[in-house]
Amino acid sequence: MILGMTTKQTVERAIGMGALVLVAIGPALFDDYWLGFILTQTFLIGIAAASLIFLSAYGGMVSLAQVALYGIAGFTLGNMVTTEGKGLHLGWDPWLGVVLAIAITTFIGFVLGAVASRSAGIYFLMITLTYAVIANYFFGQVTVVSGFSGISGIDLRAPGFVGADEESPVRLYYVALVVAVLVYLLIRFVLRTPFGLSLQGVRDEPVRMASLGYTVPMHRTLAFTFAAFIASLAGVLYVWWNGQIDPATIGLQGTIDLLIVAVIGGLGRIEGAWLGAFVFIVINNYVRDSWLTRFLDDVGIGGSFNTIIGVIFLVIVIVSPDGLMGAWGRFTGVFRRRGGGTEPPSEAAVEGIGRT
Amino acid sequence: MKGTMRRWKLLLPLAVIAAIAATMAAGSLAAPANEVRIAIMTDCKGAFGFGYEPDIGGAQAALAKYAGGKAKNAKKPSAGMTGIKVAGKDVRIVGYGCGDDTAATALKETRRLMEQLRADVMIGPLSGDEAVAVANYAKGKPTKTFIIGTAGSQDPTLQIAPKNVFRYHGDGAQWNAGIGEIAYKRLGWRNAAIMMDDYSFGWTSAAGIIADFCAIGGKITKRVFPPLNTTDYATYVQQLPSPDNVDGYFWVVGGTGTSASLKAFEQTYGRIDPKKHIGNLFFAFLGADKTVAPKVVGSYIGGFGTGPGLKTTQAKAYEASVAKVYPGLNGGNYADGFVYNYYNAAWAFVQGLTKAGGQLSKLQASLPRTLRSGYEVSDGGYVRLDRNRQAIQDQYPLQIVKSGDSIATSIVGYVPNVDQTFSGLFKKSSPPPGRSQPPCKKQKLSWQGKIKVVRNGVITNQVIK
Repeated sequence: MILGMTTKQTVERAIGMGALVLVAIGPALFDDYWLGFILTQTFLIGIAAASLIFLSAYGGMVSLAQVALYGIAGFTLGNMVTTEGKGLHLGWDPWLGVVLAIAITTFIGFVLGAVASRSAGIYFLMITLTYAVIANYFFGQVTVVSGFSGISGIDLRAPGFVGADEESPVRLYYVALVVAVLVYLLIRFVLRTPFGLSLQGVRDEPVRMASLGYTVPMHRTLAFTFAAFIASLAGVLYVWWNGQIDPATIGLQGTIDLLIVAVIGGLGRIEGAWLGAFVFIVINNYVRDSWLTRFLDDVGIGGSFNTIIGVIFLVIVIVSPDGLMGAWGRFTGVFRRRGGGTEPPSEAAVEGIGRT
Repeated sequence: MKGTMRRWKLLLPLAVIAAIAATMAAGSLAAPANEVRIAIMTDCKGAFGFGYEPDIGGAQAALAKYAGGKAKNAKKPSAGMTGIKVAGKDVRIVGYGCGDDTAATALKETRRLMEQLRADVMIGPLSGDEAVAVANYAKGKPTKTFIIGTAGSQDPTLQIAPKNVFRYHGDGAQWNAGIGEIAYKRLGWRNAAIMMDDYSFGWTSAAGIIADFCAIGGKITKRVFPPLNTTDYATYVQQLPSPDNVDGYFWVVGGTGTSASLKAFEQTYGRIDPKKHIGNLFFAFLGADKTVAPKVVGSYIGGFGTGPGLKTTQAKAYEASVAKVYPGLNGGNYADGFVYNYYNAAWAFVQGLTKAGGQLSKLQASLPRTLRSGYEVSDGGYVRLDRNRQAIQDQYPLQIVKSGDSIATSIVGYVPNVDQTFSGLFKKSSPPPGRSQPPCKKQKLSWQGKIKVVRNGVITNQVIK
């Protein structure tokens, strides 16, 4: 049997549709914890990771600012809609809060993107790391808008159809699912537009694109702005889901966690965002109370479940440096070779321009 | 060979996924109907990570004494406990929460314990911001019961105050009751400055000092609030008035900041005069007995709701019951709030479940409104809960003293029946403690003028003058 590219795409679409059907009837299959905690979190963290992967895979920019951006959206929403506690608690209409949170985050993304747009590689990484640190300190130390304690009770001020997560996990589950699907489709759409195509040109040959008349920094700035918009959606969902946000949420640990999610899923393909988020969340939740952790603890050599989690992630990255999506690519590649097919094109060719 | 490597690389991710699935399956086994599931939430990372074993040990010592629990390892409480039985029902500790002093992690861990591991009752969390997050979470889980471990923020039982949250110890403000009056009467302070960590526990702890000092007529002339985890306090010390312009300084700076801030003060104004500096519990508890206390021998400090060295039968019985199960827990310092408050929380749970006949639906109504806890003296030795399910508790201001070659704390006063509202100053409708809350205001406190002198651990009839 030969699995050519078309067949591979068909299989992928079948798997994708199967997964979509599975999560669409999720409330009939999973308990409240899986719905309200594992899967809802997977959708929203996946959206944030998708913004990172979009920049990395199609803009050639690995950003460490995505968690800061979704934090900005979360803090903005929290300040605007809550009526008591820490922060400004302006008590504005939830919908107005959502629109402003997304708009402000997107604008900040534009400004930050403009500043970072002339940098590349390690320098871009460092600039975005700086953004993350600034955001963390800003919200930690400016107690008027948050302070170290953060803002609580945001879920209680979510729009009516969302409701507080504790009372109606299914509603938020579907909201997060729909937003995740829309984000995925939107990214796919953008990649097919002239902007998306030229962005990939900027990624591969910035000098050549500049000589052709394209404004490379503007393309990068707009890509960063678009990613900030996506991250802001994750931020809004996050505070609806968690009810609370504090500077620790957007600290260095959170920043690294999102990068791990993207790396596990695979920095080459958008789908990897949700796959990585799912694996990351499941491992983080279940290894804690596993027999392995207990066994190592009992015999006095584990002591830390973090070590076990770290080893699992290390194994995944060593075995498949391009993440689980990369492992999938090699898996289908084996079938192609067994069937007498030619060596598959490089991952970049498959996942990059070739996909659009 | 290359083919084998490729197959290995394909199989390994599958093996990892299979292992995760097996782990999940093992972790989600159905709970027997005839058991009550509890969880203990504390910190294992961050500034208070060292509280992990003392907290768990405190709670489990009570479960051993009052519910027949057997410690798996007398030197390591987190190894677990078996055989806990209350009102004919097995009580199972389904997990321990590992916080890091942040609200975000506390919430994540609480959800893991209550939703994934399906605990019915949680004892914890450990710190102020964590308790605020947990109290907000508890609002949406009315059937679950939360007994706060040892958190000092005011909000969980005053501004938020869900009906399923109980606290059998004082908040950070209550712990400092009496210290302002001691500064005013014993040290003659009239004007003082205060340096406080810029977050909820810092504000709450400072609120107790400010309220107590101002109530008797003192004035706070300057409030300085360095951000949490500041390492260089020079600029904040510069904001304080010089020693010539103020009678003394109150310090509410925790973690590594306590030493660092005092050092910055020394560098600016010279050697520290213990009579001009008063601290909160951060001067002598949570590891500060080795690092901070030696620098400020002679200073008065606020307490932790406990009476280290108090010579009462009740106090000795409490200490003996912890020592019996976990000898040497917390370095043998059982009068630490980490051990004591978790102990009382677990004990209250046992009493409540017993009264409820093992029925969880009746637990919240059955949790005791009075608790005969170790260091309580007032009202026949019973801590009382107010209508927000918050303890009205005796407090013990302390002094750092030299005891032979080592440094210790000595109780100087007994402050009876300290309530969370500070005789009406703090209300549900008032803003929670903050940079400018509460304002400095002279008022009558129920314990004002009634603080009794304590000598060598014995409460005398003499009041502090």
